[in-house]
Amino acid sequence: MAWLRALPLLTRYITRTMPWVTLITGCLASLAIFTIGVRVAHHDQATFWLDQGTVRLSLLPAAAALAFVPYIPFRPLTRAVPVPAWVTPAGHLLLAAPILALTFWAQLRIMAPAIPPHAPQDPHEPFYALIAQLVGWSAIIVAAAACTARSRFADLGGAIAGPVSFAAIALAWYTPLSAKFLVKPPAIPHSITIGWYAIAAAALILACAAMRDHWHRFVP
Amino acid sequence: MTGPALHGTDAAAPADRESRGAGLHRAPRLRMVLHLARAEALILVRSVLVLAGLLAGVLAVWGWFWLNPVQPLWWWADWRIGAAELFLAMTVLVAAQLAAGRPRRDAMADLYASFPAAAGTRMLACLAGLAGAVPASVLLLGAAAVLVQLRGTIGAPSIMVLAGGVVLVIAAGAAGTAIGSRFPHPLAGLLGALALFLPTAMAHLLPAWSTWLIPWHYFPDQLGWLPGPLAGYPPAGGHAALLAGIAILAAIVALAVTVRSARARGLLAAGGVLAVAAIFFAGTVQLAPVPAAELDHLAAEMADPGSVQHCTTDSQVRYCLYPGFGRDLSSIETPVNEVLAILPARPSRPLTVRQALSVDFTDPALTRGQPQQQVSRWTAQTRNAPGIVPAAAAIYLTVGEWAAAGSLTDADFNVALATAGWAVGLTPAGQNTPLPGDQARAAIAIWLAILATHPPAGELQQGVQWHGFGLPGRPTFIAIWNYPEGGGVTASWPSRQPLPAAVYLLAKAMTGLPEQKVSRVLADRWATWLNGRTTDAQLAAALGIQVPSGPLPPKPAP
Repeated sequence: MAWLRALPLLTRYITRTMPWVTLITGCLASLAIFTIGVRVAHHDQATFWLDQGTVRLSLLPAAAALAFVPYIPFRPLTRAVPVPAWVTPAGHLLLAAPILALTFWAQLRIMAPAIPPHAPQDPHEPFYALIAQLVGWSAIIVAAAACTARSRFADLGGAIAGPVSFAAIALAWYTPLSAKFLVKPPAIPHSITIGWYAIAAAALILACAAMRDHWHRFVP
Repeated sequence: MTGPALHGTDAAAPADRESRGAGLHRAPRLRMVLHLARAEALILVRSVLVLAGLLAGVLAVWGWFWLNPVQPLWWWADWRIGAAELFLAMTVLVAAQLAAGRPRRDAMADLYASFPAAAGTRMLACLAGLAGAVPASVLLLGAAAVLVQLRGTIGAPSIMVLAGGVVLVIAAGAAGTAIGSRFPHPLAGLLGALALFLPTAMAHLLPAWSTWLIPWHYFPDQLGWLPGPLAGYPPAGGHAALLAGIAILAAIVALAVTVRSARARGLLAAGGVLAVAAIFFAGTVQLAPVPAAELDHLAAEMADPGSVQHCTTDSQVRYCLYPGFGRDLSSIETPVNEVLAILPARPSRPLTVRQALSVDFTDPALTRGQPQQQVSRWTAQTRNAPGIVPAAAAIYLTVGEWAAAGSLTDADFNVALATAGWAVGLTPAGQNTPLPGDQARAAIAIWLAILATHPPAGELQQGVQWHGFGLPGRPTFIAIWNYPEGGGVTASWPSRQPLPAAVYLLAKAMTGLPEQKVSRVLADRWATWLNGRTTDAQLAAALGIQVPSGPLPPKPAP
C-alpha cells in the first residue's frame, strides 16, 4: 500500500485529466433538454404530463457523458507506473459524482414549480425509487465503460459503452420478466429500489473487476 | 484516444497541409472518392453499432406487431416501421460521426494529413459511404414487412412512407457526418443520437401540431382507427422531402467545414440556401391541415357506414365491412355460424354484423387548422354513429381492434357471446342496475359462446372476482365475471359490462355436462328459457345440477 503516499501528488493529475468538458457538456445538455421540455409543456398547458419519466429521459445525455469518465489517459504509461491503474478512473468517478448529483438536483428544482406540490410526496412515485433507478443506470454505464476500456475498443470506450448501456437499460425496462421487478407498474417502489440497487451493486463489482490491474504488481 | 480531440490540439492545422495534398492529387480525385466511399460503406455495413441498431429495430417491430394481439392496418403499420428505423438511424448517426471525426481524433491529424486524399475528398467519401447504411435499412424494412404481413394485415404498404424510413436513416447518417466534421469527440455523436430520439420519447410534451414533424412517434394517434389511409394524415411525401432536405443540408454543412476554395464554398452556400428553402417548403406541406373534404368523407363514413361498406349475407346474417377488410369476413363468420349451429331455434329478428369507426374529431392532430364550427359539425354528425351506441340485433366491430391472425381467441369469443346474446334475446341492463339480473338465458348465452369457440378455461376463470359497489350507506361486494376483452365488439348484450359470476359459473357447470343432454333440455323448453323471468336456479334444476357457489368473499377490512 506504499502507493497511498502518492495520492496527494496524484490529485492534481487526476483533476487535470478528468474529462470535465465532456461531463459538463452532457450535464448541460440534460439540463437544456429538460428545461425546454418543461417550458414547452408549461406553454402548451400540458404540465400534467411532466413526471419522473421526464427526469429520467432528460438525464440520458448526462448518463452518456458518464460513459467517458472511467477513461485512462496514456494507458500504456499509466499501466507501467507503480500506482494501480484503477486509481485514475476511480478518482474521475469520484469527481463526477457531485456534478451528476448537482444536475439531478437542478432538474428537480426546475420541475418543482411545474408540477403539483403534492407530487414529490406521492407515495406511488417516491423519489427514493427514482434515485435507485438513476444509481443503477449510472452503475451499468460505468461497468460497461470499464469493460470496454479493457477491450480492444478502449479508444472508443464511451462511444461503445453508451449505446450498450442504453440497450441494456431498455432491455431491462421493456422485457416483461425484468419489468415485473424494475418498472412501475407493475413493480412496487420497494421492489424497484431493491432491484436497481442490486443491479448497481453487481455492476460496480463488475466495474471493479474490469478496472483491476492486468498483472500482479510487485510490492516492495 | 479521445483526450486530444477534446482540447482541440490539432483541429485546424491539418487543413492547410491537406489543401496542398489535394492540389498534388487532383486528377484521380473521383476515383479516390469512389475507393474511399467503398471502404467507408464496407466499414458501415460491418459496424457493430449499425448491426446493433438493426437488431434493436427488428426487436421493436417484433414487440409492436408480434406481441400485440390486435390486427395491424398497413396505413398505421408503415409509420410504425419508421419508428423502428429510428433506432437504426440513431446508431448510424453515431457510426457516421465516429467515421467523420476519425482524422481529428486520437492525435491522428498528422497521419491523415500525409495521405494523398484531402479532407474534402475524405468527407465526400464519408457521405457517399452512407450508402453502407442502406442495406441494413432495407433489411429492416423487409423483416418488418414480413412480420407485419404474417399478422394478417389489412391494406397495402405505402412505398412513400417506407421510403421515408430509409431517407431517415440516410439523413441521420449525414447529420452524424456533419457533427463529426466539427466535433470529433464520440460524445457528440451520442448527443446527436439522443437529440434524434428525445423529441420522439417526449412527444407527449410537445404541442399536437408539432408531432406531425415526427410522425413515427408512439403517442396514440388515430391512424390505427381509420378504415383506410387518409390523405395528408400525415403527409408522407412532405415528410420524405423534409428528411431529404435535412440530409442534403447536413451533407453541405459537413463539406463546408472541409473545403477551402471560394468557388466551392459559394456553390455549397447556394446549395445550402436551396436545401433550407426545400426544408421550409416541405415542412409547410407537412404541417398543412388535413383537407376538409377528406374529413367530410371520413365523418360520412363513420356516421353512415352503410353508404360505403360492402355487405354480404350468409346463413341469414348480414355482414357489412369497409372496403379492403374482406379478408376478415371468414374469421368473423366462423364464431357466428358456430353459435347458430348449436341454437335449438333461431330468433325471427335478423342479425347484422357491421364494422364501426371510433374516430375522435376533437383530436387536434386530426382536425388542426379547421374552423371550430366545422369541427363541431363533424363531432355532432358522428356523436350517435353506429357502434358508439349499441343497437338491438346488431353487432359492431370497431375498426382497428379486430384480432390479428393467431390471436383470434378472445375476439371470436366476444363475437360468439354477442351472437348468443342476440339469439336468446338479451337486452342491456338498466342504467340504475349495477349488474344484469339473474336470468337463465344469460348462462345459456355464455354456454353457447364457450361451446362455439372453446376458449381456454383458465382465462375465463380469471375473470371471476369480487367487486365493491359503493351504494350509499352500505358498501356491497358482488361476485362478478369480467369476460375477456378483444376484437372491439359492441353489442346490446353484454354491452361491455361485467356479468354476475353466478351465470358464468352455471355456464361453466353446463359445459361439464354432455352437450346432447343440455341441448335436449334447452330445446324442450326453449321459449321458457328465453323468458327473462326464468332464473338460474330453474335452469340448474332442469339440468339436474346445483347452482354453483361463487368464490369466497373478500375478508372485511380491519
